[in-house]
Amino acid sequence: MDEFQEILQDFLVESFELVEKLDEDLVELESNPEDLELLNGIFRVAHTVKGASSFLNFDVLTHLTHHMEDVLNKARHGELVITPDVMDVVLESIDLMKALLNVIRDTSTDAGIDVSACVSRLDKISGGTGEVATPVNEATPAQEEAPAQEEVSAPKEESDEEELDYDNMSDEDVEAEIARLLAERQAEDKAKREAKIAAGEKVPEAPPEPDSQKKEEPKSEPVTTPVAVTPTPKPTKTQQKPKGEAKAAAPAKRTPATVEQTIRVDVKRLDHLMNLIGELVLAKNRLIKINDDVEERYEGEEFLEELNQVVSIVSLVTTDLQIAVMKTRMLPIGKVFNKFPRMIRDLSRELNKKIELEISGEDTELDKSIVEEIGDPLVHIIRNSCDHGIEIPEDRVALGKPETGTIKLKAFNEGNAIIIQVDDDGKGLDPDMLKDKCLEKNLITEKEADIMSDKEAFGLIFKPGFSTAASVTNVSGRGVGMDVVKTNIEKVNGIIDIDSQLGAGTSLKLKIPLTLAIIQALLVGVQEEHYAIPLASVLETVRISTDEIYTVEGRSVMRLRNDVLSLVHIGDIFEVERILDSSEHAYVVVLGLGTQKLGLIVDTLVGQEEIVIKSLGDYLKGIEGIAGATIRGDGGVTLIVDVVALMEIAKGVKASVSAESNTTALLTKEKTKASDYKIMIVDDSKTDRMIMRKALESLGVTLVEASDGQEALNILKQGDHNFDAMLIDIEMPRMDGYSLATEIKKYNRYKNLPLIAVTSRTSKSDRMRGVESGMVEYITKPYSADYLSSVVQRNVNFKSEFL
Amino acid sequence: MSDKLKEIINKQSNQQSETLDQSDNIVQLVGFIIGEEEYAVPILSIQEIIKPIEWTRVPQTPAYVVGVFNLRGSVIPLIDLRIKFGLTPKKHSDETRFFVLKQGDEVAGFVIDRLTMAIRIKKEDIGPAPDTMVGDESMIDGVGKQEDKILTILKVNKLLERDF
Repeated sequence: MDEFQEILQDFLVESFELVEKLDEDLVELESNPEDLELLNGIFRVAHTVKGASSFLNFDVLTHLTHHMEDVLNKARHGELVITPDVMDVVLESIDLMKALLNVIRDTSTDAGIDVSACVSRLDKISGGTGEVATPVNEATPAQEEAPAQEEVSAPKEESDEEELDYDNMSDEDVEAEIARLLAERQAEDKAKREAKIAAGEKVPEAPPEPDSQKKEEPKSEPVTTPVAVTPTPKPTKTQQKPKGEAKAAAPAKRTPATVEQTIRVDVKRLDHLMNLIGELVLAKNRLIKINDDVEERYEGEEFLEELNQVVSIVSLVTTDLQIAVMKTRMLPIGKVFNKFPRMIRDLSRELNKKIELEISGEDTELDKSIVEEIGDPLVHIIRNSCDHGIEIPEDRVALGKPETGTIKLKAFNEGNAIIIQVDDDGKGLDPDMLKDKCLEKNLITEKEADIMSDKEAFGLIFKPGFSTAASVTNVSGRGVGMDVVKTNIEKVNGIIDIDSQLGAGTSLKLKIPLTLAIIQALLVGVQEEHYAIPLASVLETVRISTDEIYTVEGRSVMRLRNDVLSLVHIGDIFEVERILDSSEHAYVVVLGLGTQKLGLIVDTLVGQEEIVIKSLGDYLKGIEGIAGATIRGDGGVTLIVDVVALMEIAKGVKASVSAESNTTALLTKEKTKASDYKIMIVDDSKTDRMIMRKALESLGVTLVEASDGQEALNILKQGDHNFDAMLIDIEMPRMDGYSLATEIKKYNRYKNLPLIAVTSRTSKSDRMRGVESGMVEYITKPYSADYLSSVVQRNVNFKSEFL
Repeated sequence: MSDKLKEIINKQSNQQSETLDQSDNIVQLVGFIIGEEEYAVPILSIQEIIKPIEWTRVPQTPAYVVGVFNLRGSVIPLIDLRIKFGLTPKKHSDETRFFVLKQGDEVAGFVIDRLTMAIRIKKEDIGPAPDTMVGDESMIDGVGKQEDKILTILKVNKLLERDF
């Protein structure tokens, strides 16, 4: 019952929207009768309403729209010119349609409006005689045929008479029909019961399918639609008395379809609101960060507590607000699930299989946009289960399974995601068969097939161009199904997991994020850049030393417990310049996408953060491997990795060769004159710098000065100069000489840059520290100008001819 | 009531009528320098002009796409016009600016070497782009002639169009 109400609800909302649009279009059409686009649009509206209303057994409406469709169809094929006269009739029919929709909204039935006059005029226009006799019952399930024919009776003057008429008519004919229907259902139930008994199951009290049938059965009766035998227009009656209807209409129809207590809000507004919340979340992150900083700096101060309170309230409210706004976009997944019982019923008939559908968790809520996206994939999956999964009853019995196959459809929350699971107890997937099939179609190579695990083999059904059905059936198996499913699910950042046991059934698990706008992400660092990886696709992270990485056929791999995991460096994918020297240790982020796994090597793990996904805009959209960007607490932009694309790219990336070779070439440029040599002097004392300058000036080399470590590092980072050596004082503000040397040595390109300590520190431990931090020479103050000059000459391989 | 006052009033009303006259055939542009050349774009296409801020590199893009930056919560692409125009990249200096251009929903930041000034130029002083540069593909909208120099007026929609 509720299901019907819901469909009706949707139908009404859609129809009213369509009709509203139709009015505008028609008016435009009159002034612009040649516009094919417009005609097509109007035709589609009539067609859509017809289709839906016939499904819902609104026969008067179907009747009317059917004829409208005829006229419009002729018009759009150019067989009919839209004259104002034609338009009058079309407009009249649309008015009638609106009136009918109103009646349906108020009473859940479309009786009570006479459309015959209009229909006959429509018919005349479309080339008919105007003698439209039969309200065609489009839905026509087998058991409804009979009443439809019988009810070709006289036109009704009033709705009250309609019931009478129905009553009159319901003599032998209707009696016979009811008897037939009952017999049919009894037979069906009996068969079902027998099947259950055969399967050794307990017979349930209620027959499993009565609901849907009951609904259809009575609905077929009010097909006593007015019929136009004479083209005389009848007064249209807009409202039907519910009391009269009571007898005729099915119980389901008696309750008026009250429009839900809701406001329809433009999705754009909600999106805008969501964006604003996103901004707020970012600001919150920033506030928390600042709070942490302040806490550190003013430890123990009294105002801190107050600040802390405010920050936590803001953060709490922001989170609540975010959830609240997210909720406004949420719909129960039942919206999608509702159409499946009927689908299963039709499919089982079509396929001559016995299938039962068990639904649970239909209250689980999901973002509207996601609900819209997963409808089609689920249809595909369930069709597949029916078609390929569940065996025909004989086979099932032979296998000792219950004759009726079961498909379980359930939805539940798991952390920040929704899991939708489709289980069937069918024949399951045969990994070897799948591999053979793929080999046959050249989707995989022999070698790939050999090393493939069962689970990976199951994943093959998602390959484009794959279809397991030996013959293409009406239901599934056009070879596009499952890969489309996968793409659609991945579009909403979802993950598909498939598991199967031969002979026992298949289980498909869809893991779908609650919302698309805000996600949990793992932030990783590579060289000086940061990237965000959606946490949903991160299985684990491991710290490895570089010698755990092996190279197999030009690809990096590592052992992860008992598996071999292929590796790819994030820097290779995103063309990150290797300026920092790689350390012996690396972090591997294990990414999982369905059955695929990939190890992503990163330099550092920064942490987990809630991020707001922002698009890169039209200019930069569609960049491979990048799903979007987010703004971090510090105001910087961090790119979000597109894991799906990354997996694809990774296939083409070879193991990274050490990047050292090309950078050293830069440093060893041919020197043609003394001033080609560049030396940096780092000392906080101006006098000391002057002394060094004086000592080296005579060589004619180019000198650059920096007054502390930080400044020196900045000059290096800018890369404006290629230095041949650096003279570094140890005792300096901001960054001392040792730290500077350590920092410099992190950069690949400065690995071989001679660093010369010039200091008054003379102890042995100081010298040791100098060596440890990468200094090659240690000059103690005071020194002679000649000595300094000779040390520098030696270290830069100063050519004697320049002297 | 002196003559002087009258004079001033006259002058003002003259000025007013002048500006009214001109409003129709005057184009307001903002000029900027890239390399040696002066370019200009219509003032209304400029969302704002900011001093260089931190940006993030975006991989798999042409060299002239420097990256993206955060402009009050929006992620905006940053394009270096020096590289786009085939010049060698240059370090940002004190005069470097980010030019944020907007047309419809498209927004992008452009790195320019230096701002010059807002320019008012008569429509008749704007010539077509050189014959060799005409066409849909050209980024040049026209050439504005001033007393001592010419400036190239760029098509904003072309600048904002993705061409990779």
